[in-house]
Amino acid sequence: TTTMSAAVSHTRSYEGVNRKTAKKCSSYQAPLSTVQSQRDPLTKVTGMLVQFLLHMLKMKKPIVKADMLKVVDKKYKSRFLEILKRASFSMEVVFGVDLKEVDSAKHSYILVNKMDLPNNGTVSCGRGFPKPGLLMNLLGVIFLKGNCATEEEIWKFLNQMRVYAGKKHFIFGEPRKLITQDLVKLKYLEYQQVPNSDPPRYEFLWGPRAHAETSKMRVLEFLAKINHTVPSAFESCYKEALRDEEERAQATGALRADTDATASECCGPCLAAPPTSSEVEADSSLCG
Amino acid sequence: MQGSTRRVGIMTDVHRRFLQLLMTHGVLEEWDVKRLQKHCYKVHDCNATVEKLEDFINNINSVLESLYIEIKKGVTEDDGRPIYALVNLATTSVSKMASDFAENELDLFRKALELIIDSETGFASSTNILNLVDQLKGKKMRKKEAEQVLQKFVQHKWLVEKEGEFTLHCRAILEMEQYIRETHPDAVKVCDLCHGLLIQGQSCETCGIKMHLPCVAKYFQSNSEPRCPHCNDYWPHEIPEVFDPEKEREAGISKSNKKPLRSRQH
Repeated sequence: TTTMSAAVSHTRSYEGVNRKTAKKCSSYQAPLSTVQSQRDPLTKVTGMLVQFLLHMLKMKKPIVKADMLKVVDKKYKSRFLEILKRASFSMEVVFGVDLKEVDSAKHSYILVNKMDLPNNGTVSCGRGFPKPGLLMNLLGVIFLKGNCATEEEIWKFLNQMRVYAGKKHFIFGEPRKLITQDLVKLKYLEYQQVPNSDPPRYEFLWGPRAHAETSKMRVLEFLAKINHTVPSAFESCYKEALRDEEERAQATGALRADTDATASECCGPCLAAPPTSSEVEADSSLCG
Repeated sequence: MQGSTRRVGIMTDVHRRFLQLLMTHGVLEEWDVKRLQKHCYKVHDCNATVEKLEDFINNINSVLESLYIEIKKGVTEDDGRPIYALVNLATTSVSKMASDFAENELDLFRKALELIIDSETGFASSTNILNLVDQLKGKKMRKKEAEQVLQKFVQHKWLVEKEGEFTLHCRAILEMEQYIRETHPDAVKVCDLCHGLLIQGQSCETCGIKMHLPCVAKYFQSNSEPRCPHCNDYWPHEIPEVFDPEKEREAGISKSNKKPLRSRQH
């Protein structure tokens, strides 16, 4: 744990980094090479990995270990896990982004943004993907149908929203491709054949990324809101969602016990901001 | 900062949101940064007093330091507006661009950068840049394509276009100053007053020293007989006005209407 805390908290044993840039126009700062040599050698390579992860945050694609290894200098490859641990700690504490492993066999990870920015953090001109509103609805339908919804059930629901297969929607694009391919590739949904169905029929389930980025309770809250009711109105689903919350709380508690006392000083309230679909960012042009 | 031991700042969701939003924008003017800060407080901690911006940023920078990133403050070269960007300190290449652009596109940027640095005015014409298309590394690029790539640079805030000529966006200057100095040690120009990297500015016609427009504005403010700080000869150029954020807000001048001072006074 001392190595973890070293990444974020340390006493400055030098002075002289010029922070008074207000007085100068784009003042030149001498490279920090003299300071760097006093530091733990892993600090710099952790910084590189963090910058890579920040870039991947924009891309919204799963990250594989192989790509992360490319960013790390050969001589530190043997210490990769330690570097990864430090980097994900920094991502969480400094940026409010969690690095979660979604496939331990394939060593693939995703970044979950706890800051819950509207438009998924993209600024107005970007076409953010996936479209949060539709996805939440789909996850809701799947959940209400017992965590698995047939393709017919999904289309019945989408048609009610005037979203039709083959008909390009002005926001979602072509819906069939969106739900059977794009959202599946991004691991938000799973699309599989109903076992023993002949002719083959298909069904949808939550994908691992949906499990990581949201929860049954949040989806239920969303459904309740749009139906002008409360989560507890969906009796059996509500009970299931409560159980799910408990399990998650226990899992997180186990992780927290690992982290350093110093970490909790820097951490502050690390709770995920609740989903506020009605969240009005003060200036949508600035805040997405 | 006080004393020789420094407390590392505390990060809360206010700071995290601020950081992410600043990152999304690439570069922001000071006024927008203040609005962003207030917004982040509103979302996460509406009862707290909004910390003074300088302290707020220093706080975040103390945490970012170990990651070799910092929120850097600079000033636009044409009209002296204070700007902020999240900058990588450890990189010695155009690496922040590397993830968004292909090899030949990056090379086009490097070529444009060289022309800009070597130019007298800090501007490189579209024609001159496009003529270098055959020299690019990587996949062959046609001029038509290159025109679009240049527009892509403008969209991503690496270049700025004015009347068919290109110069560096203030973001690029903030982000790449160290890289530029290291890769063009002889060609690079430096402001005689602030010693910062200079792309656009005014020069003394006698001794050749150069100064940024905002530096000129501050140095010669209310001076009826401006003289070169180096050779004392009469300073022949129009002295720009010091940027005043209050005046700008009152006049309600929108960015698109405001005419930035042209630095063609070489």
